[in-house]
Amino acid sequence: MNRLPIDPALAWESLPALLDGLKVTMIITAIPLVLGLALAFPICFARMSERRLPALLAEIFVVFFRGAPLLILLYLVYYGLGQIAALREGPFWILFGSPFGCAIVALALNHAAYMTEVLRGSLMAVPGGIVEASEALGISRRNIFIWVRMPLAIRYGLKAYQNEVISFIKGTAIVSVVTITDLTAVANTIFEQTYDPFTPILCAAAFYWAFVNLIRVGFTLWGRWLNRHNAEIVEVTVAAPVRGTALRRLAGLVKVTP
Amino acid sequence: MNARPHDLKAMGEAASPAILLSGLTKHYGSHRALGGVDLEVRRGEKVVICGPSGSGKSTLIRCINALERHDGGRIVVNGIELTADEGTVQDIRQEVGMVFQHFNLFPHLTALENCMLAPQLNRGLTKPQAEKLAMLYLERVHLADHVRKYPSRLSGGQQQRVAIARALCMEPRILLFDEPTSALDPEMVNEVLGVMEELAASGVTMLCVTHEMGFARRVADRCVFMDHGEIVESGDAATFFEAPRSERLRGFLAQILR
Amino acid sequence: MTNLSPADLAGYLRQLGEGALITLELFLASFAFAFVFGVLIGVVTLSRNRLVQAAWRVYASIFMGVPTLLVIFLVFYGGSAMLMTVLGELGSEIDISPFGAGVTALAVVYAAYIAELVRGAIENLPKGQFEGARALAIPPIIMWGKVILPQVMRLALPGLVNVWSFMLKETPLVSLAGLQDLVAASKIAAGATKEPFIFFIATALVFIAFSAATLKLATILEIRLDRGLRREPNARTARADA
Repeated sequence: MNRLPIDPALAWESLPALLDGLKVTMIITAIPLVLGLALAFPICFARMSERRLPALLAEIFVVFFRGAPLLILLYLVYYGLGQIAALREGPFWILFGSPFGCAIVALALNHAAYMTEVLRGSLMAVPGGIVEASEALGISRRNIFIWVRMPLAIRYGLKAYQNEVISFIKGTAIVSVVTITDLTAVANTIFEQTYDPFTPILCAAAFYWAFVNLIRVGFTLWGRWLNRHNAEIVEVTVAAPVRGTALRRLAGLVKVTP
Repeated sequence: MNARPHDLKAMGEAASPAILLSGLTKHYGSHRALGGVDLEVRRGEKVVICGPSGSGKSTLIRCINALERHDGGRIVVNGIELTADEGTVQDIRQEVGMVFQHFNLFPHLTALENCMLAPQLNRGLTKPQAEKLAMLYLERVHLADHVRKYPSRLSGGQQQRVAIARALCMEPRILLFDEPTSALDPEMVNEVLGVMEELAASGVTMLCVTHEMGFARRVADRCVFMDHGEIVESGDAATFFEAPRSERLRGFLAQILR
Repeated sequence: MTNLSPADLAGYLRQLGEGALITLELFLASFAFAFVFGVLIGVVTLSRNRLVQAAWRVYASIFMGVPTLLVIFLVFYGGSAMLMTVLGELGSEIDISPFGAGVTALAVVYAAYIAELVRGAIENLPKGQFEGARALAIPPIIMWGKVILPQVMRLALPGLVNVWSFMLKETPLVSLAGLQDLVAASKIAAGATKEPFIFFIATALVFIAFSAATLKLATILEIRLDRGLRREPNARTARADA
């Protein structure tokens, strides 16, 4: 073979298939992101509850679904829950009746566990004095949550949320093992057909890279808009992502001084 | 929120003082923060509370609007007795405004929006109504030119005046101040005290924890000295400063006036 | 429902144990390489040289923006060809094992994260540390080894703990390149016995328990390092060097 690792003709030929794979990757990212976030709220409330039992159950959920490798969770749902006839044929058939549904369930549970912690950290980062001031104004608890705690929590937790989302996108690459033809699966198939170890995988990597960085730019813009009340902070948040370094899931909450 | 019959409220108003505390106790674990405080504040009266740090003065006023829950004794505000019932808490908070040492403004809202939030949420005002109300009180604290700014763009003195306007927008009949000037740079203290003096002239009931003795002399109908969770001495401003009876108050005054 | 005989169970347990050992070896080797390269890259990229900076950005951006699984596949499938390019005919003799591919891929990816942590920690060091060492005319090697890096490690420790536990959770990806690790063994056992819940949940719990145990260790280490900061700076340096 020549020294150039990429075969341009093969890359061009594979483009439609890779784009289809990217579409599947985007779908398998978007649905669990929405479901997981929706799940994270009640779990987070339970986790922060003063009542022992809900707090304990929520903590067990978080420890298990955050601590277990995603691949195991996928196996557990696909080979475990997905093989139970009652689940496959019952009202949850849409979740457990297909590899796609199983992947969505596993990814959503994993994302929910991470987001529970992101949410909890963000809510706890809201200064107590500001919540007290809202209470002193006679604002109800529900309204304090909607109008004060949540808007501030989003600002404090945005960086952690971004890291989780980006990490999550990359994590979806494993769904190819349950026969879903996502970007990774397409690249693998092309490799198996052509035995070109570089072109398909590097092309898929480029698509992942573009997808991840598109999301990253989106978050940066969102953060800039949210922090318009604090121009100094905007400069800092702009400076940080440019270094292109966001530790996925790794970074703690970035404190933004209100 | 306001389940209380209207005539009962009127009756209570006619008969009772603005604030009545009797035998008020509060513990943090084994630490006694308040050890049986009796205090009566008449309608329209301005009372200044001072005392060394840890004397329980902040705890005292934070108990009045239930930011801290008292564990013994009675609190009656404008005829409403504060009980464990969440309803009485909300009722009392509608009567009482509070200004904090660290302003506790909502960092994600402009000065105007800070003032509009509670009236919109609690009193069901429309946005234009709330805006009109907020403008009225922001003008009263001399901030008409800064209404569109975010708190981070305002000086400490300006922020504290926004906080005062925010409390006023709920049109409370009682105002609590918790060391409103002690987090301010010296050159900003007077602009806040000036606003507070103007407020005092308007007839609102004020209970103010402060060490600003000049303010106390000019404004206070009565000064109260607290130490170790008890009221040690109280009297009109003149005798309080010129002829303190207790050794502890003499010592305290010598320290802060030095 | 259970159709596991004790003998079968013992056989699967042995396989799982062997798999767990492979997972552990893979993880520790990958982390060690990632750590060493991460620290080196972190220090080298402090250079203001434009080329170095550009190279760092490209490297970090690529490996932080691409799924680890793809990197594993790339090394596993393309490793021989890459070696051939670098080493010539000598390279074609070397066969890339799933284990080798896994260690290489995980090390390359996570070195980027560790380098980023190290860079951040060095930036957060008080400038006086460098000036002080320079004023005392301490040679650079000793300055880095005895003064700067121990403090950097202390600052980077919480982040390193995160990398540690996150990397652990990504080691099972190497089973998709054919490594007979814990997850592969548990998948075989689950399939053969039709008991997916027992095996997969047990495997998950092994990961969680290992992670929790090492986290505890890190907390103890952190407390130790903090104590050293106050009382015994020499002992601290020695420990952090080790």
